[in-house]
Amino acid sequence: MDALVQILFFFVLLILGYFSGRYFEKLHYKSILERENRTLNIPIVNFGAKQSFTNAQEAALFVGSVVISIDYFKMISAALRNLVGGRVTVYESLLDRGRREALLRMKEDAIKWGANQILNVRLETATIGGRSGNNSGPGSIEVIAYGTGVK
Amino acid sequence: MKYIAKKIPEGINVTSRHPLLNFAYLLGTVIAISVFIFIVLGFVAEWLVIRVSPETEIQMGDMLVQPALDEEITDDKRIQYIEKLLNSLLTPGETTRLPLQVHLIDSDVINAAITVGGHVLVHTALLETVKSENELALVLAHELGHFQAHDPLKSLGRSLVFMAVSTVLGVGMSESGGLPKIIPLTSELTNLNYSRIQERAADIYGFYRVVSHYGHGGYSLDFFERLSKGEGRLQKVSQYFLTHPLSQDRMNDLNAEAAKQGWKMEEELTPLPQWLHCPDMKQCEEPVKE
Repeated sequence: MDALVQILFFFVLLILGYFSGRYFEKLHYKSILERENRTLNIPIVNFGAKQSFTNAQEAALFVGSVVISIDYFKMISAALRNLVGGRVTVYESLLDRGRREALLRMKEDAIKWGANQILNVRLETATIGGRSGNNSGPGSIEVIAYGTGVK
Repeated sequence: MKYIAKKIPEGINVTSRHPLLNFAYLLGTVIAISVFIFIVLGFVAEWLVIRVSPETEIQMGDMLVQPALDEEITDDKRIQYIEKLLNSLLTPGETTRLPLQVHLIDSDVINAAITVGGHVLVHTALLETVKSENELALVLAHELGHFQAHDPLKSLGRSLVFMAVSTVLGVGMSESGGLPKIIPLTSELTNLNYSRIQERAADIYGFYRVVSHYGHGGYSLDFFERLSKGEGRLQKVSQYFLTHPLSQDRMNDLNAEAAKQGWKMEEELTPLPQWLHCPDMKQCEEPVKE
């Protein structure tokens, strides 16, 4: 009986994870696409370190960071993938969303300040929870994007 | 250099594979591989476990039977009666690889079992429920059949393999926090489960011993018939009998076997000792029957 409850609980979490995860991902992508198109006119580039800016009057650091959690469905899929090996495709969209969201946050902040371009952009990721400690909770990823806005 | 805003192309870093398809593929692969490993290792374990020396089996049995003996009744005349009945069921010249030890357990769950090391567990509720010695003899002979076929040992071997496989899977899983409790739980479910083939072999063995002891198979199937009919009434029948009900099919099998061997099925009933349901077989009140 106990076993049955546990198994039922597992499947409920799995289904909940799948549908809520899909819903929020869809919503997020919609917002990302819309904002990317809106901010397309400001270039972000990853060169610019140790170079002089002839046309820049002012420069400032802008940081965009986002934390996204995996859902139960992704966690189980990845756990199964760990046994088999191969590309963890369920995490790809998660990281893609993280990178683009972080860049957008940085960009939007810079646009508000009045930047006409963002130089020397760098991306970093970190994991939060999940792998550390008791290994039981679902993990999250943090993506940080930072760059120098000039105007 | 002039900057021209271009639309960002999609799907470079995301594989367009449906997550459910991906999940189904993974689950299928993992299940197929673990089932394969489980089956192969299961056979290896069975092969190894019947080669365990009697001394080791006694040690294992003593360890494993301990938790079941909390409610044991010792020093009771009924134990001697059951022991005598059990040993009389062996055909002349047949020996058990270990001496059998009967344990009478005070419990209102109708059950009888045999474990590794030749420990026969008989619950008092079983003694209150059986109506003739023939019935009791078939239950005991069925358990004896399991023991002679090394079934408790094989089952233990398989459980160990299952635990080992699930631990390995658990290690693989827990690294990213997946499936932590599901697999160990399923191994609990397999505790002391025998396969259909093992059950059928034990049935035939038990029936054969009962027939050779009494000269006929009459009345011995009545207990199982009552169990399968009166499920509502016998609420407290143990899990063991519920998961392995002697269904009509199995009774038919035994009746067919009797017909094939020319065994008589209608003969005299051998009564039980009058006070079998009473402690120490001293006169007492009838148990309350609903």
